[in-house]
Amino acid sequence: MTHRTLGPALLAIAALGAAAPVSAEPWLAVQTGFKCIQCHVNPTGGGLRTVFGNVYAQTELAARRLNPDDTDLWTGSISRFLSVGGNARANAELSDTRNLGTDTAFELEELRLFLDFAVVPNRLSVYVDQRFAPGSAANLEANVRLWLREGSTYVKAGQFYLPFGLRLEDDSAFVRQVPGLNMTTPDNGVELGFETGAWSAQLAIANGAAGAAETDDAKLVVARAEFVQPAWRVGASAARNGADAGERLVAGVFGGVRTGPTAWLGEADWVDDDSLGADGRTLLTGLLEANWLLRKGHNIKLTAEYFEPDDDVGEDEQNRFSVVWEYFAIQFLQLRVGARVYEGIPQNDLQNRREYFVQLHGYF
Amino acid sequence: MVLPNLRVASAMRLRGCKSLAAVAAIAISACAGSGEGLDENGRPIGENPGTPPPGGAVDFVFLQSTIFTPLCTTCHAGGAAPLGLRLEPGVSYAMLVNVASVEVPALLRVSPGDPGSSYLVHKIEGRAAVGARMPLGGTPLPQTSIDNVRQWISAGAPAPAVVSVSTAPTAIVASAPIDGEALDAPLSRLLIVVSRPLDASLVNATTVQLRRVGAATQHAPDTAPLEPLRSIRVPLNDPSSVWIETAVPLGTGEYELQLRASGAAALADMAGDAVDGDSDGVAGGDFRLTFTVTEPTR
Repeated sequence: MTHRTLGPALLAIAALGAAAPVSAEPWLAVQTGFKCIQCHVNPTGGGLRTVFGNVYAQTELAARRLNPDDTDLWTGSISRFLSVGGNARANAELSDTRNLGTDTAFELEELRLFLDFAVVPNRLSVYVDQRFAPGSAANLEANVRLWLREGSTYVKAGQFYLPFGLRLEDDSAFVRQVPGLNMTTPDNGVELGFETGAWSAQLAIANGAAGAAETDDAKLVVARAEFVQPAWRVGASAARNGADAGERLVAGVFGGVRTGPTAWLGEADWVDDDSLGADGRTLLTGLLEANWLLRKGHNIKLTAEYFEPDDDVGEDEQNRFSVVWEYFAIQFLQLRVGARVYEGIPQNDLQNRREYFVQLHGYF
Repeated sequence: MVLPNLRVASAMRLRGCKSLAAVAAIAISACAGSGEGLDENGRPIGENPGTPPPGGAVDFVFLQSTIFTPLCTTCHAGGAAPLGLRLEPGVSYAMLVNVASVEVPALLRVSPGDPGSSYLVHKIEGRAAVGARMPLGGTPLPQTSIDNVRQWISAGAPAPAVVSVSTAPTAIVASAPIDGEALDAPLSRLLIVVSRPLDASLVNATTVQLRRVGAATQHAPDTAPLEPLRSIRVPLNDPSSVWIETAVPLGTGEYELQLRASGAAALADMAGDAVDGDSDGVAGGDFRLTFTVTEPTR
C-alpha cells in the first residue's frame, strides 16, 4: 500500500499539534518546535522521512498543491515493513572569483534513495541511504537500529552520519566543514540515542577515519545533547578523536529560537587539532542564520558565517554571507535561488569570490 | 474577518523584516582578516618555504600553496580529514602520490606521469566515478589550476625539494632515552629524532630492532632475541621522528636499540639517502643506542 487517504493523515497532523511546516532543515524544526525524529526516520535528522514528514510536505509545506482534490497522499510506506524515499538536487551555478573571472556550470549535486526495512515495526530496522549520482553508487548510511525502549532509547550500529551540531542541508557551511562531522564523512561505529521528553541526546563511538579504512586503535567519541522547547532550543556537542596523527578535540554549542515568522539558528564551534602544523592549531567557527517564512511556501534565508583558521594568527579570518530564497512550489518540489559571498585575506583570490546558484530539489 | 488577518500578516512581515535587518547588520559588522603579515595562505610570512617564481615549472610546493592549503585544508586536514585524505603541508605529498583512492581503489590518487588516470584530477575536473566535484560545494578550480596539477603529474609528480641547503647527510639528532642512560622501570616508549623527514615506508621491524643485552642474557648483542614491539611509526605531523612502543613494558636489564642504515633495507630520508646512523658524517651506518632499565627508586 503506497498511499493513505488525506483525511486520516490530516487528523494525524492535527493530533500532533502541527501548525507550521516540518522538513529536513533545522530551521523548520525551530519553526515548529519539533525534534528531528518527528519528520525523519533517523532520530538525528536527514534522510528518509516519516509518514508525518511526507504528509506535511504535501499539505502544509508547499505553496500550493497539485491535484488538490486527490484524497490519496504519498507516505513513503510501501508496506508496514518497508518505507522508501529519495532526494535529487540539480544546480545551475555561476561563480565569480576575484582576478580569475567567472565560471558557469550545470551540476547534478545528488541523487539519493533511502530504504528502511522495519523487520519488527517500531523496534528493529535496517536502514540504507545510497547515493546513485553523481558518479557511480556509494553508500552513505547502512545500519541496524534497535529501539531498546520504543520511542525513547535506541542503539544504531553500522555506517551513519555522526551526530554533531545543527544538521544543516548545506554541508559547505563553515560550521559543518571545520568540525569535519557532516554528511560527507559518515563513519562506522555504534550510536546510542535517547529521545525522552524535551531531550534528544546521542553518544557515538566510531573509527574516526572519516569514511576511510581504520588505520589505528584510536576511536572517535561524539556526544550531542539538545533541549527542545516549542519556541526555542539549545544544545551542545563534543567530540574527541585520538588518532595517531594527533588528537583532535571539537566542541560546540548551538540553538534556535522563533520570533514571529522568523526562525533563528546559531552555532559556534571550537576545534583543537594537534595534527595541524608543528604545534597544533585552534580553529573557531560560527554561524548565525535568520529564516523568514514570508508566507506559505516561501522562505528567505540570510546567513552570516565566521571562520578563524588559527587562533594564534591574526588577520586571517574568513567570512561567508548567503541569501537564499527557498520556494516550495508544489508538493515534493523546491526551488532554491541564492547568492553566497566569500571574504578572506586580500592576497588570496579564491577566498574572495561570489557564487550564484539556482537549485531544483525534488524529494519524497 | 479579513481586516484583522491582514493586520496580523502585516505585523508578522514587519517583524521578519526587522529580523533580517538584524542579521544584515551583524554581517556588515563582521570583517575578514586584513591579511597583514601573512602569505597568500593566511600563514605568517616566513613560516613556509617560498613558492617558485611565476613562469617557472610547476612543482608541488606551488600546488600546495595555491590549491591544497588555501582551498582543500578547510576540510582535508587533521584527524577528521574526509576519507583520511590530509592535504596540509608536510603531509599531502605522501597522502597523494602512489596512494590508492578510497572511493575508487583501482585508481591512484596521483599516478606519476599519468594525469588521466589520477583520481585527484578526476575529482577536481568533476568526472570522478564516486562523489561530488571538489572543492565540495564551492567554485570549481580555475582551469589554469587544473592544468597546473596535470602538468605536475605529467612531469612525474616530483616530490617537493628538500628545503635545507646543507649537504650533510640526515643525522640522528636526539633520542629518548639517550645513550647510556639508566631509567626506572617500567619503560615502554622510545623516541628517535632525525634531522630530516624520513621515508616512512622504510621504518619497520627490519630497520628498527630492540634487544635485551648484557651479561645476564648470555647473548652477543646482535644475536640476542628481539624484544616484541607493539608499534613503530613515523607520525604524519612529525615525519622526522620515530616512535617505538614495546609490546610489554620493559623489565629491568640492559637494552640496545638498533636502527639499520646500511645494507639493502636501510633507513633513508625522503630523498632516498641513507641516514648517517654512526655519525661519521657519511650517509649510512647503523645507529646503536644502549640504555639500562632499573628498579624504580623508592
